Amino acid sequence: MSLWVDRFRPKTLDDLHYHHDLSTRLKALAASEDFPHMLFYGPSGAGKKTRINCTLRQLFGSGVEKLKIDQRVFVSPSRRKLEINLVQSSYHIEITPSEAGSYDRVVVQDLLKEIAQTQQVDLGAKHRFKVVVINEADLLSRDAQAALRRTMEKYMSNLRLILCANSTSRLIAPIRSRCLLVRVAAPTTQEMQVVMEHVAKKMKFDIPPEASLQIAEDAAGNMRKALLVFEALKMQSPDLSGPLHIAKPDWETYCHKVADLIVQEQSPARVMEVRAKFYELLSHCIPPTVILKTVAEKVVQKVDEALKADIMHWAAFYELRMRLGSKKIYHLEAWVVKVMCLYKHFTYNFDMSEFD
Amino acid sequence: MNRRITHILDQHARIVTMQRVFVSNGLLGAGSPTTQSTKTSDTLSVDPSTASILEPISSTRTAGKTSSSDVSACSAFRPDGPLPLDNHHVCNEAPSSDLCGNNDLAPTIFTPTGLLSESQDNGFPPISAILAQNSNRKELETPATSNVLSHARTPLRATTYDGRTLYIKRKPRVVELRKSNSSTPQASKLLEVPIHRLMEECSTSSATRASASYVPDKQHPKKHVHGEHTLWVERYRPRRFTELLGNERVARDVLAWVKQWDWCVFGKQRKKRARERDDNYNAEDEYHRPREKLLLLSGPPGLGKTTLAHVVAAHAGYEVMEINASDARSAQIIDERIRPTLEAGSTVGSSKPVLIVIDEIDGATGGGDNSTGFVQKLVSLTFNKPNKQGKNRNKKNSRPLLRPIICICNDPNSHSLAALRPHARQVRYMRPADVHTVRRLREICELEELSVNTRALSVLVSIAKGDLRGCLNTLQFIKSRNEDVTEPLIRRATAGMKEGDSTTTTVLKEIFTPISRRRIKDLATEDDDGVRYVSRLSRAIEVLNNPASVANGCFAQYPHYRRHEADMSRYRQVNDWLVAFDTLSSAMYADGEFELHGYLPHLLIPFHPLCREQRSERMERDTSDWDNVQLTRANGEIYKSLADGIRTSSKTTGAYGHLITGQVLVLEFAPYLNRIISPPLRPVNSQIIKPAERALVSRLVEIMISLGLRFVQERADDGQLVYRLDPPIDVFVTYDGKRAADIATSRYAVRHLIAAEIDAALAANPVDVAPKGGNSRRSGYSSKKILVEQPDDGANSLEVVDKDDPPQLDEDQLRVHKRPRPADQVEEKAPVDFFGRPIAAPRKVSGPGAARSAEALTAFRTTYRYFEGNSAAVRKPVKVASFL
Repeated sequence: MSLWVDRFRPKTLDDLHYHHDLSTRLKALAASEDFPHMLFYGPSGAGKKTRINCTLRQLFGSGVEKLKIDQRVFVSPSRRKLEINLVQSSYHIEITPSEAGSYDRVVVQDLLKEIAQTQQVDLGAKHRFKVVVINEADLLSRDAQAALRRTMEKYMSNLRLILCANSTSRLIAPIRSRCLLVRVAAPTTQEMQVVMEHVAKKMKFDIPPEASLQIAEDAAGNMRKALLVFEALKMQSPDLSGPLHIAKPDWETYCHKVADLIVQEQSPARVMEVRAKFYELLSHCIPPTVILKTVAEKVVQKVDEALKADIMHWAAFYELRMRLGSKKIYHLEAWVVKVMCLYKHFTYNFDMSEFD
Repeated sequence: MNRRITHILDQHARIVTMQRVFVSNGLLGAGSPTTQSTKTSDTLSVDPSTASILEPISSTRTAGKTSSSDVSACSAFRPDGPLPLDNHHVCNEAPSSDLCGNNDLAPTIFTPTGLLSESQDNGFPPISAILAQNSNRKELETPATSNVLSHARTPLRATTYDGRTLYIKRKPRVVELRKSNSSTPQASKLLEVPIHRLMEECSTSSATRASASYVPDKQHPKKHVHGEHTLWVERYRPRRFTELLGNERVARDVLAWVKQWDWCVFGKQRKKRARERDDNYNAEDEYHRPREKLLLLSGPPGLGKTTLAHVVAAHAGYEVMEINASDARSAQIIDERIRPTLEAGSTVGSSKPVLIVIDEIDGATGGGDNSTGFVQKLVSLTFNKPNKQGKNRNKKNSRPLLRPIICICNDPNSHSLAALRPHARQVRYMRPADVHTVRRLREICELEELSVNTRALSVLVSIAKGDLRGCLNTLQFIKSRNEDVTEPLIRRATAGMKEGDSTTTTVLKEIFTPISRRRIKDLATEDDDGVRYVSRLSRAIEVLNNPASVANGCFAQYPHYRRHEADMSRYRQVNDWLVAFDTLSSAMYADGEFELHGYLPHLLIPFHPLCREQRSERMERDTSDWDNVQLTRANGEIYKSLADGIRTSSKTTGAYGHLITGQVLVLEFAPYLNRIISPPLRPVNSQIIKPAERALVSRLVEIMISLGLRFVQERADDGQLVYRLDPPIDVFVTYDGKRAADIATSRYAVRHLIAAEIDAALAANPVDVAPKGGNSRRSGYSSKKILVEQPDDGANSLEVVDKDDPPQLDEDQLRVHKRPRPADQVEEKAPVDFFGRPIAAPRKVSGPGAARSAEALTAFRTTYRYFEGNSAAVRKPVKVASFL
């Protein structure tokens, strides 16, 4: 059948392996009549989507699992056609407005109004309202978020929103105040090991504890990543014994190479080399902010203590600029040059002081 | 006397030839040939007697010019019978000696066209056109020769060598030509004065007068016609073929093409000359039209393309119908105006056949792929076969195209002309050498009394890039201010002219190199040392109107700067400016505040003080940014198709939804998926594979099917068969062209094995592949589970039998489901339920287990319930019995 990460995904709140107190709270909420708007937030791979799905099931029963996938076309003000994938059951609808890029406002406005203005048809439904799940809510533009504000209050009788975001910092305060904030923390290593053992048991094999520990530690709280790695390892070497070689994602390895290049030498030729590497990374659709973050973290590991704060400061600085700007490569390179400059200054001064 | 005349004729012939050389080169300005001729006529009119003796010569000249053979020249001459005997002799001898010489000379200059002679044959306007040259002279003469005109109406008497008298009727057209000849009786008087002396006098007097600089107004009759307020461009527009300036070959090409229509339009037999048997001659065409029925004349603006078309049309005897940008140019214009005109063959109220000139055709509507557009329609016009028999006969558009059409455009490679290009003969109009343009400008300036030096003119021409129209307008502008034309003045007047064609490369060059001496001179700035650069550079960038591309170029260029400091502080500054530029420009686009656009260039100017240096190598266009954009787009598409494949493959469950949204797909899913689907398998035959590996393979096959991944067989460039992953998600583990080291390279044999297994798995569940086109590899139905209820074991012994997961079947299920299957498949088409699964009922089971399993099966009460999926759509009627 499908991948483990999908196959052994808990379907009900009872099946969840960790955060049991959160599960009981969600259960209580679903049972009560006044289910609020909710905002699930937490790091990637912690289980936000899983919990949302479980909550929906708790709310409406197994009917929410009868899903169909639609493509809806929205027309932007500039008459561009935007295709958005919708996943919907008769009780809820799931959208990822960030697919529409800067036109997410149109999607949010059109779709939410449409849903909000139609009442629940199914008389046997447990609740009168429909639920709209908005994925990647932190990538919503400010316009789209502003469009949400009024809708959330006005159509409260017909509609509940469940937002799913990595962090609340990019959501405007009015939205946050209208939602019940639910933080889904990353699982601990032990919790992840439990899940992996559960999977192994279901698949009728044994996972050595040291292997599960190693995978869990490498995944650093990302359950999804852990399960993917687990399955990959199982495919590559079926017995899972001995020291495991856990592969990093290729883009990460590549970013580390870039960091090495920056630290090794500071010259115009090296700037060009690094630029070529950045282009390669960008062309693999790796988000530039991720690139900058990964490279910066790696560079910081390799340089002198005195430089670390500065390098991180400038990484943050250029990351902000990058979000404001549109040509990502300029900002990446500006940061690289800045780091090289700092590094040169540092070594230069260092050398001189030794001479004195 | 005889000799004298011969001498004079000889001399004159030489003069004429010289003049011919001049004219035929087409280098002389519109004014100059006429000036010359008027000058001659002026001198001639001073002494009517001289004029009268010279008339025959000039007429011979015209005849010689237009006729291709001596005989025709002579015969044209001879009918002027009333000549005295000696004169007669002259006429017989002189042409044969001198005129022959003339003819020998003239063809060498003229035959390259080879067209003038034809036009004579056709008896069409060229003669009158040429005569028009002499028209003003005729006007001057008319009073003197008016008495002779009466001769014109009577038949001519001519005497042959034998003394026989011939009466020849005059053709009305030739009258004009002849009337001057009839003044020859006065010739005897003239001979009393030595003509060569008169000629010398004339030439010297005309020379002195010319040097005393005539008032051009009086000298140039056209000026009176047009008045002071016409544009010079109009005033000096060439009116005759010989006046055309510039590329003679182009003019001749066009004329040759128009001439190819003669057979069709005028019904004349073309001369069978080997030279004309070019590839364009279409022997099959019953109308003897050229193969390409359209002519596409292209070239930069201001060189005289439109004028050329008009002049050529007039020269070849056509009336021009022009359609240009001022008219509506939709497809219906063809039906409303062009087709009727073409079918009528001539415009209203004109006896001449029509030639259609479609000017500025690249601006016409509906080029490109639009099938109803103007260009398409025009092309379809040429397709209409002259089909006399057949079904098309009665159709409206069955009439063939019988008139030439000339299309004019600036850019022959324009997108809108794509449909036209294959059907048109293309002629490119190149800019003539600057020398010629300068010379003509100089002549015009002389006529307009504009004092000018050649240097200034050549600067003007080089700035205008040969655009004669632009040059003339500039000169007229300068003239209107009553100034002398000097170089700085020209530079100032043409300040905006040169900017139109600056490119990113030129702007970058300006930014990254210190200003050169020449450039300082070009710009005529006061700033000699290149210190003040801000306004200059910002102007350059603004004119280009694409600061983003300049920024890109700066970004690509700055690391090549050689003199960097050790601490790279200069680089840091440069990057800060770039970042500022990007922030500002995206703020501008995001907020729609386009007033900021004016400030953008200033953020790029600092590159000049920071990075300027003299560099020897050429600045090359850097395409890496664009390449990156392309590649990113392509990879984005791969991600999209992967996500779509997953979505459709797991349609009903909504599974993987959390894997393919946002960054998860890119950062986590794609890299690990690549590892999951490439286990270390040995390339062995599927029959002898080990059980452990068999399990691995089947697992892999399931995963790949459920994710919509396939191995597609392809032939590589070297002809080898390869299996390619589709969608090619392995690009995401390939950096710098190398696959990640920890992923085993999947060999051809392994992929072959897996591909075969996938095909087999899909074939076993054909419904999975069928629905909705190729991309939905697997419908949700197959993921439904059959619930087998076994009454013996009670209610809690529910077992989920997943058909897609054969390794999971336990023994009991295997006995029931697995065993009969091969038998069914071999013996007959297995009965299939509407999900495409073979029905498990073991009808033809034989052997020891048969009775038991049949018994077990009848004992079972089986119900089916669907756990997943939202649709109960029945696609074909099925009896319940077939389930049992």
